[in-house]
Amino acid sequence: MATPIVIEEAATPAARTRRHSRFTDYVGVAAGTAPIVLLLLASFFLPLPYSPTQPDPAAVTLPPGPQHWFGTDGSGFDVLSRTIASAQVDLPVAFGGALLSLIIGVPLGLLASSDRWFAHLIMRATDVLQSLPLLIVTVAVVSLAGNSIGNVIFGIVLVGAPGFIRLVRSGAIVVRSSRYVDAAIAMGCSPLRVLRVHVFPNIFSIALVQFTLATSTAIIVIAGLNFLGIGTAAPTPSWGVMIRSGADVIGQGYWWVATFPSLAVVLVVVSLNFVSRSLDDLVAGR
Amino acid sequence: MNRLRFAAWRLFFMLVSLWAIASLTFLLVAILPSNPAVAIAGPYATPEQVTQVENDLGLHDPLAQRYFEFLGRTLRGDLGTSLYDGTSINHEIAQLIPSTFELIIASLIIAVPLGIGLGALGAYFHRKFADRASSLVVGVLQSIPDFVLAVVLIYVFSAVLGIAPGPEGQLSIISVPPPRVTGMIAVDAILTGKPAVISDALSHLALPALTLGLVIAAVFARISRASLREALESDQTKFARASGLPEWRVVQYAFLTSRTPVLTYGAIIFGALFGGTAIVETIFNWNGLSQWSVTSMLRTDYPAIQGFVLVAGAITLVVFALLDVLAGFLDPRVRAQ
Repeated sequence: MATPIVIEEAATPAARTRRHSRFTDYVGVAAGTAPIVLLLLASFFLPLPYSPTQPDPAAVTLPPGPQHWFGTDGSGFDVLSRTIASAQVDLPVAFGGALLSLIIGVPLGLLASSDRWFAHLIMRATDVLQSLPLLIVTVAVVSLAGNSIGNVIFGIVLVGAPGFIRLVRSGAIVVRSSRYVDAAIAMGCSPLRVLRVHVFPNIFSIALVQFTLATSTAIIVIAGLNFLGIGTAAPTPSWGVMIRSGADVIGQGYWWVATFPSLAVVLVVVSLNFVSRSLDDLVAGR
Repeated sequence: MNRLRFAAWRLFFMLVSLWAIASLTFLLVAILPSNPAVAIAGPYATPEQVTQVENDLGLHDPLAQRYFEFLGRTLRGDLGTSLYDGTSINHEIAQLIPSTFELIIASLIIAVPLGIGLGALGAYFHRKFADRASSLVVGVLQSIPDFVLAVVLIYVFSAVLGIAPGPEGQLSIISVPPPRVTGMIAVDAILTGKPAVISDALSHLALPALTLGLVIAAVFARISRASLREALESDQTKFARASGLPEWRVVQYAFLTSRTPVLTYGAIIFGALFGGTAIVETIFNWNGLSQWSVTSMLRTDYPAIQGFVLVAGAITLVVFALLDVLAGFLDPRVRAQ
């Protein structure tokens, strides 16, 4: 889904019963992280069987076989090489975009947890931003501002930051009502110090879980942009471009062109969602 | 707050948001570094011609003046003309919006019962087999991007089974489009009553609507599972059970309390759908508003982009406001906030 929908799920640790040990959660985080790290390492260091940027005009739409394990596409690109090579751009951009969303969204969310005028301003601005078809706005920004990685990251932040703002705000409101925050205020801590020293460490786990979800949304947004022909320029491999070229020929039965990059996207998204679930259990099970 | 004051406050906030969206779409073009004059004058224009076009467009006027001219024009309901072919944006949007609505409505018809059904199964049989099964289905649906799902559906139903048409738009080439009544081709075909065209239009609608419908169903399922679960665990439900009400009555009451969050997120989903349809319309060659907007973006046709963002944002805000007012009428707790 390229529809970035942010769902606020109430953080209610009390309502959860601990079903399994923390060890299982650590294993879950590791198991979800492993495929992504392996894919990233492979894209940089694994010697690829064919060049991901040089098509072979003699080998067009070959089905998967001993020569080309994942087959070749309509221009003669080796699908296996390009699927692995795509991770080189797609993954770092997604992580970068999600990280920037976190860096922008967390402080704004903390500020928005107060009841001063700027808190209302931040929340109303978030409302307006979320009422826009954000994928379209991202497409508009990237196509008007130019096809550069910086603009793609800006687009991801536009989609991702509102989620951080909302979640951090609702988490921070809960923390703010606790005794130790009252105590800190009574001892004369400045509001900013309360936020930095007392509230921030307690909501950081929420932000971390959201970070993995934002990365998985970012992967889908990047693939969606590339699918629509925006973002990455032609010879650079990317999953979205590959799926697009596969979608154009799938009606003729060439299923492999779109299938393998799609599987790569789904693998990364499932792994990230798995990490976020395990992290969430880890956090809630404290 | 009483109902009318709540509605009035909500409408006021909607107007302020509309103004914010109009300003954003203006800034989108005014601040971004692309020069529309270069796009209009074409690749072979001399610098003098570009300057001439810039003057015609008023790009050298002060920003504030251009902003108020833009606001005035938008307030009068004039979205300008396309830089690409000079057609009126208002006309273009009015022509294309019904087919996008057709797609959205059809996918909601699939998504709402399926999503709420899956969510209700999960909530009622909490942590039992039915919950695990429905969570698995929802988890799988949530991990599959819409463009991947579309490709899979086209391959299975069109290329392999041959029971659905390929991605060729709203009708086959041989079908004669029905006379325009609502602009939604399937609805027009039914209204004007040509059996062959009706089945052709519906079969072309099936796969794109199923793609979007399955994707949104997953979101509806998660929301309704969470909110129905909460309602089923409430004291009110315990009291209903203790009073000896039949089980279906208990579930019915729980449903009534859980509908507010489902409605609220329904509005958010509706907004997100405009982005979601862009990809689905592009894959299925669906001649709708979102596909047109993507094409306009690739052409840097900035009045068209502004017009689309403005209209899509406005529709979303109106739907948000209407659903909020509706939720306020149904649920007094919303008004109290």
